[in-house]
Amino acid sequence: MSLKNKSIQEKTADLTKLVEWFDSEEFTLETALDKFKQAEELAAEIETDLMSLKNEIKVVKQKFDKEA
Amino acid sequence: MAKSLNPIFSVSDFIAVVNQTFEYAYPTVEIEGEVASFKVNQSKFIFFDIKDKTGSIGCFMTVWQLRVPIEDGMKVIVSAVPKLTQWGKFSLTVKSVRPSGEGALKKSFELLKTKLGAEGLFAVERKRQLPTIPQHIAVISSTQAAGYADFIKILNDRWGGIKVDIAHVQVQGVSAPDQMIKAIDYFNQLEKLPEVVVIIRGGGSADDLAAFNDELLVRAIAASRIPTLLGVGHETDESLSDLVADVRAATPSNAAQILVPDKEEVVRAVNSQISSLLPRITQIVDQQRQAIRLMLNSAVDSIERTIDERLRKISSMKSLLVQLDPETVLARGYALIRGSVKVGSLIQIETNKDIIKAEVKNVTKK
Repeated sequence: MSLKNKSIQEKTADLTKLVEWFDSEEFTLETALDKFKQAEELAAEIETDLMSLKNEIKVVKQKFDKEA
Repeated sequence: MAKSLNPIFSVSDFIAVVNQTFEYAYPTVEIEGEVASFKVNQSKFIFFDIKDKTGSIGCFMTVWQLRVPIEDGMKVIVSAVPKLTQWGKFSLTVKSVRPSGEGALKKSFELLKTKLGAEGLFAVERKRQLPTIPQHIAVISSTQAAGYADFIKILNDRWGGIKVDIAHVQVQGVSAPDQMIKAIDYFNQLEKLPEVVVIIRGGGSADDLAAFNDELLVRAIAASRIPTLLGVGHETDESLSDLVADVRAATPSNAAQILVPDKEEVVRAVNSQISSLLPRITQIVDQQRQAIRLMLNSAVDSIERTIDERLRKISSMKSLLVQLDPETVLARGYALIRGSVKVGSLIQIETNKDIIKAEVKNVTKK
């Protein structure tokens, strides 16, 4: 799944993983900057998604006031 | 004898005409009174009288039509069709009964609460968790209600990207329970189920909220395959629907707060996570820099120690060499003798200051 198609929840999970990497034993200074840039981009994308997404509100056509 | 102008009916015709007149004049009547002589026959048919101080009318209904428990002495409003039976007895064929007045509403509430509680409908073990962030929700409410507007506003303010299907129903009055039940059934029969059903209604009087104490509605909420969230009335209002729902919100706005997180808070949390990373990197760089500095200092110390040691050795050897220098020995008063140690031979004696030639006169073994 490309980053564009991921849901906010998936992106948030990815960001959490990235942040956890900084406290893990896998941390190396050599890759830290790349990971930091990735995290920054992801955070910006999450913010954009959150602020731009609208709810899709629809009143269903079914009528509930008719006698069964 | 003059012939009467009044029509002559058969008994059955007259009963039919009276019933037609009733149907025309009073298709449905609502009568308020006190319940008396309440009884259930064959677990199917209910008979009771509705009375006031001076009058009393017999009532008939079926068990499945009785949506709230009633008992003798309870004040109720019956919705009924007046009817003259084939035996000439006037009665009301009751379509619905609802408690009237605070006392009756409370009594009915307590009776049904005890009954449904005994069946385990309110048990904590039955409660299901709502999805963390739902992507598809069903809302049962009146789209004209203030509570609905509050819910939608808070929902839109807090989160986006949710598919929200609204079932527009009455949330007050006699037909409200049936409409809400139909809406619950409708959502539960969809091929792709919503993740949560939210039932919304703003505040109101006890009578306004009585629909949420309807037995069949409470049972429909309990039977829903989809987890339920109820946001009805104010925090202090408690209905049986509140008790049976998986999650109860204090108000419609609170229901939206329970359902989704606040995007502003999420953005703040995300940015805070990112902000915490740079100090972490700086801290690690500082730690590594300090470790390198310590290693360098240690190397320099080691080199310095080696040099000092070597210098000390050289100095020691140097002083030894000085001690071994013949000039030093001569300076201490010793003399250096060159030549053969034989009587009569010439030898050379070197002192600190002189070189002396001498003849060996005598040699004695020590």
